[in-house]
Amino acid sequence: MDGVLIPTLVSGLLLGSLYALMASGLSLVWSTLGVFNFAHGALMTLGAYFAWTVSEQLGWGLGAGFVAGIAAAVVGGVLIELLLVRPFYGNRAMLLVTVMTTLAASTIIERSISIIWGPRLKQLPRVIEGQVSIFGAPISSHEAMIILLAPVVLAALWWYTSKTRSGRSLRAVGQNQDSAALVGIDVPRTFSLAFGLSAALAGLTGILLGSIRFVTPGLGADPLTNAMIVVIFGGLGSLGATAGAAYVIGMLEALLILWLGLYWTPSVVFLALIMILIFRPNGLFGRAS
Amino acid sequence: MTRNHLISALAALIVLLLIPFVVEDSYTRHVFIIAFIYATVAVSWDLSLGFAGLFNFGHLAFFGIGVYTAAILSSTLELSPWIAILAGGVTSAVAALLIALPVARLKGIYVVLVTFAFGQLCMQVVLSQSQWTGGAAGMVRLPYLTIGEYSFIRDFKFAYYYVALFILTAAIVTLLLIARSPFGKSLRAVRDNPDYAAARGISVARQRVMVLVASSVFTGIVGGFYGIYLRVASPEVFGFGVGTLVLSMVLIGGTGTILGPAFAALALTFATEAMVGFRGMEEARFIIVAAAMIIVLRMAPGGAIDVIGRLGLAASSATKPLEKGKT
Repeated sequence: MDGVLIPTLVSGLLLGSLYALMASGLSLVWSTLGVFNFAHGALMTLGAYFAWTVSEQLGWGLGAGFVAGIAAAVVGGVLIELLLVRPFYGNRAMLLVTVMTTLAASTIIERSISIIWGPRLKQLPRVIEGQVSIFGAPISSHEAMIILLAPVVLAALWWYTSKTRSGRSLRAVGQNQDSAALVGIDVPRTFSLAFGLSAALAGLTGILLGSIRFVTPGLGADPLTNAMIVVIFGGLGSLGATAGAAYVIGMLEALLILWLGLYWTPSVVFLALIMILIFRPNGLFGRAS
Repeated sequence: MTRNHLISALAALIVLLLIPFVVEDSYTRHVFIIAFIYATVAVSWDLSLGFAGLFNFGHLAFFGIGVYTAAILSSTLELSPWIAILAGGVTSAVAALLIALPVARLKGIYVVLVTFAFGQLCMQVVLSQSQWTGGAAGMVRLPYLTIGEYSFIRDFKFAYYYVALFILTAAIVTLLLIARSPFGKSLRAVRDNPDYAAARGISVARQRVMVLVASSVFTGIVGGFYGIYLRVASPEVFGFGVGTLVLSMVLIGGTGTILGPAFAALALTFATEAMVGFRGMEEARFIIVAAAMIIVLRMAPGGAIDVIGRLGLAASSATKPLEKGKT
């Protein structure tokens, strides 16, 4: 068991890191606007394709690819907010309507990508080549970097939302829009800010994922389901709970793959989730809203 | 649901019953059959999403479960395709019961997330259990329907047309009866004012379980029929594309009306099939349908949004579209 346990935990850590990056973006938009962005996965894909075009097709290098990919995702995210979310503010059924409009946005983005870039598989280069070993478990340097990067990004996000003025305005708007407007916060701009920031996280995650897996139009759809499971598990409210849940699910998934194999793992994770929800309808770490 | 609606629905039924005698080419009949199938899924979805105000986004999973139940029973276990189609309704109902257990107690966005994740999970299971389901390649060459020696493939799909129309009619009649029963009235009560309904002794949790099961039965049966008719089961049925298409039928037709989505399904199926005829529209038609859905949500506040406004979240039936504040 010793020989496989540590590599399994390391791969769980990697999964958890990716889920944490995705789910924190979802949670950020949710806690600010009360909107669940179903196009988050499509924004990841968008980021990965733009990064591929700039770094591989144009040959400007991976650094420029990162900038272009994240910028594309941010533009996409802000456009979604302006065109598909903003018109429905204050609508009583806003939650349901925005689920539908963001779902439609995800269809539009994914199908457009498949028309523009075609069906051929693409792959992004790794940020760092080579291998390192963590407690004797061999892992590619790129994956090790993701494991290190995720907590840094999460910490930066935490610092931003709790220590800076504009970050705190996000939370103020999330708690009470009217009071936030009264103390001079530009509420609509804060909404765009939340969407843009969340989309930047999506773009970053998409690019990182695009050098582990092949870049396909469905790149973001599969991890989105897992990020949703994370979000249900942790409750959508706070960054800490979401990140915690991401690592728990990542570890659980890796251990289940070790014990049960790849095939049964998604079903068992989902069954575990159902059992938890029967007893704790607001998620494992969630509080009653 | 007025007398006028009922009369126009009956008139439409009579026209549809006569169409195969006028339209003889196999392709047009095929489009009608596909439209009837989508219409059955759309009206069933409307029962849970529109009529009961339950944020169910995993409805296509019931359809896919029906497809694969019929495929596995008829092809691998070599049962009669008729039994396999009906069995699709049974397995969907069991799946609905399973998913209803957590959903019964959840609120708002968590209902959306769990039902949506359930649909994606079904797809992952189908993809991973390839020894049963054929994985990403799916299952092909399923047995076709027969009565005695008569094969349904003959006569340009004449018999398939009537089976599809029969399933749709049975689904609509059943759903309308449910909608008009005391149970249907209590569903609307829960949708429009959950607190008041609960205070009047209606169990919201039990309602949700029953409505999910009720909406899954015909969806599973028609899924089974879809698989047997096309003789193919492919994991695509769980995907975003089909889901968005059927959702747009429900929305454009008008949620909570049962008949509206049926008419929208007929119109949209013919529209998207017509688009396939043009070069390069294979992918673009999904974009057009998604854009149409957004336009309906934005531009028809008297139609779709107004109706949606009366769904689960609304505390009263009075909708004020410009009211400030988060729901």
